[in-house]
Amino acid sequence: MKMANGKIQMANGSEHPTLRPELGEQQSAIDNRQSTISNPEPPIDVTIAGVHFQNPVLTASGTFGYGQEFAKVIDLNRLGGICVKGISADPMPGNPPPRIYETDAGMLNAIGLQNVGAKRFLEEKLPFLRTLKARCVVNVFGYSTEDYVRCIETLNAGDGIDAYELNISCPNTRCGGIVYGSDPKLTEEVVAASKRAARFPLFVKLSPNVTDITVFARAAHDGGADALTLVNTFVGMSIDIETRAPRISNVTAGLSGPAIKPLAVRLVHQAARAVRIPIIGIGGIASPEDAIEFLIAGACAIQVGTANFYAPETPIRVADGISDYCRRHRIRLDQLVGSLKLPGTDSAPAKEG
Amino acid sequence: MLDTIATVTGNRPLTGGHLILSVLSPEQAQAARPGQFAMIRILGHSDVLLRRPMSIYDLRPGDNGDGEQAKPAELDFLYKVVGRGTAMMAALKPGDEVGLLAPLGHGFFAEDYLAEARAADEVLHVAGGIGIAALLLPARELAAAGVQQRLFFGGRTDADLVGVNEFQPYVAETLLATENGTLGHRGYVTGTLESYLKSQPGKRLLILACGPWGMLEATVALARRYGQRCLVSMENRMGCALGVCLGCSIRVRGEGHAAYERVCTEGPVFWSEHVVWGADQLPKT
Repeated sequence: MKMANGKIQMANGSEHPTLRPELGEQQSAIDNRQSTISNPEPPIDVTIAGVHFQNPVLTASGTFGYGQEFAKVIDLNRLGGICVKGISADPMPGNPPPRIYETDAGMLNAIGLQNVGAKRFLEEKLPFLRTLKARCVVNVFGYSTEDYVRCIETLNAGDGIDAYELNISCPNTRCGGIVYGSDPKLTEEVVAASKRAARFPLFVKLSPNVTDITVFARAAHDGGADALTLVNTFVGMSIDIETRAPRISNVTAGLSGPAIKPLAVRLVHQAARAVRIPIIGIGGIASPEDAIEFLIAGACAIQVGTANFYAPETPIRVADGISDYCRRHRIRLDQLVGSLKLPGTDSAPAKEG
Repeated sequence: MLDTIATVTGNRPLTGGHLILSVLSPEQAQAARPGQFAMIRILGHSDVLLRRPMSIYDLRPGDNGDGEQAKPAELDFLYKVVGRGTAMMAALKPGDEVGLLAPLGHGFFAEDYLAEARAADEVLHVAGGIGIAALLLPARELAAAGVQQRLFFGGRTDADLVGVNEFQPYVAETLLATENGTLGHRGYVTGTLESYLKSQPGKRLLILACGPWGMLEATVALARRYGQRCLVSMENRMGCALGVCLGCSIRVRGEGHAAYERVCTEGPVFWSEHVVWGADQLPKT
């Protein structure tokens, strides 16, 4: 389909006289000049496991503190949701420094899940979060299934929590669940126990450091996960060649940032074809275009992570950009989700050149 | 603290790969206090992501000429080109824009700091290399408060000893040291500091120190040995400087959850006895 002299030309050469919403998928590729005048801002709200988000943009756990830290630099009420720093049943001190190192288009971190613990979170952090329009998703981790359950049982008293995000994928501590996240049986076990304990919907954040993501997506699904978050950081490493020492005290560390985006898009694509539950995509999103890739790959919402560190306005810019894209392409958010046009299918665009 | 896009007004090269970047941002300049820092983002480079933490070296009135008492309008950052981020900073020209998150951190302005400085017979500034950038504003403020001051400044070579002249209105004496002996005493800055501390028995001194980890550690050891209090301005790699990434945390005196504090938020200025020095900063397993 091409534009010629201001008219829409369909792939078969015929001209299309008017733009009609019922055109469905073909509509999405129509050029923006045709689309907008008097076209109101399309809603981009999304409901995941019964939780209504005003837009599909969340901030990622570990990159946004407990929300309040960003109150001076952005309007928190413009966010779809906030995933708070991972919370454990008891407070955690974290790893010794150095904890972070910048790499090409990315960064390594091994913070070690430093956090205030579930009780102090409820007392000191939740009262502020509950005043926001952004939904509050509490990231939860532990050393053992009992830890996860104990943390959730404490948090269940929290008025204003909208969902849990089970972290079974932090690569930087012996806890943080990586043991669970790299064994499908344990994944199912900890998800099932957490789901039984949880008063709020349960999202499960998976590790990308596995051979076949679909096995883990299904295991989490079978355990009762209401949605999946894909993906946590990729295990990486960097060495100071002058001292021959690792750049990070933990030796290995989690790689995040734009460098991992293509890897994460692939994993979301594979998981979306393996399970029916909603997927929240994350990995190197720094622009609306990045986010839209994840949506097309099958994510119904996305999280912005590392970009919050250097460009805190990113989540709002991404939400506005998704809205603008939907308007330009006259497509609803739910139509966009999973709308990938694979080669060899009817909807595949013609090859160029 | 504000997150803005600010205009570069100058980027003046000094010796030894040092430069002074000047940025126009009146609101941020007027909010800044001695010892605070800024995060500078070089725009338009997606492969270098993170902002760079920089001490606020100086605050100057802009060229507004409106006749009112000149308020600070420009922020100066003294820096050395050491990697990709600072190399990009060095390429900035007047008229270019940078992202500027400032002012940040807990600087040299706590009540107990000023009281301590006034109660001291003398304040000693101890700077290693680019650490000098954190000390000009406190030196000016303390001079205005009538506090006697001395500057101890060390670097590898004479080319590292930048900005000495700017301190002269505020300090009674400047003692320089270079590792290769090209300027001042040959050796470390802590050598000249120790000689001075030895020569001042019975005096109450307050040390303000900024520089590389090893220099700070040696300075703090001297302060302890000679029974003097010491404030350190710490440097560390930072992810966000908003207090959320926890990447800049250092080991402090505290147990469990209180074992680490963030350089960006609880610092960058700490009382030296609050920081855990030596091998204790490393993992305990």
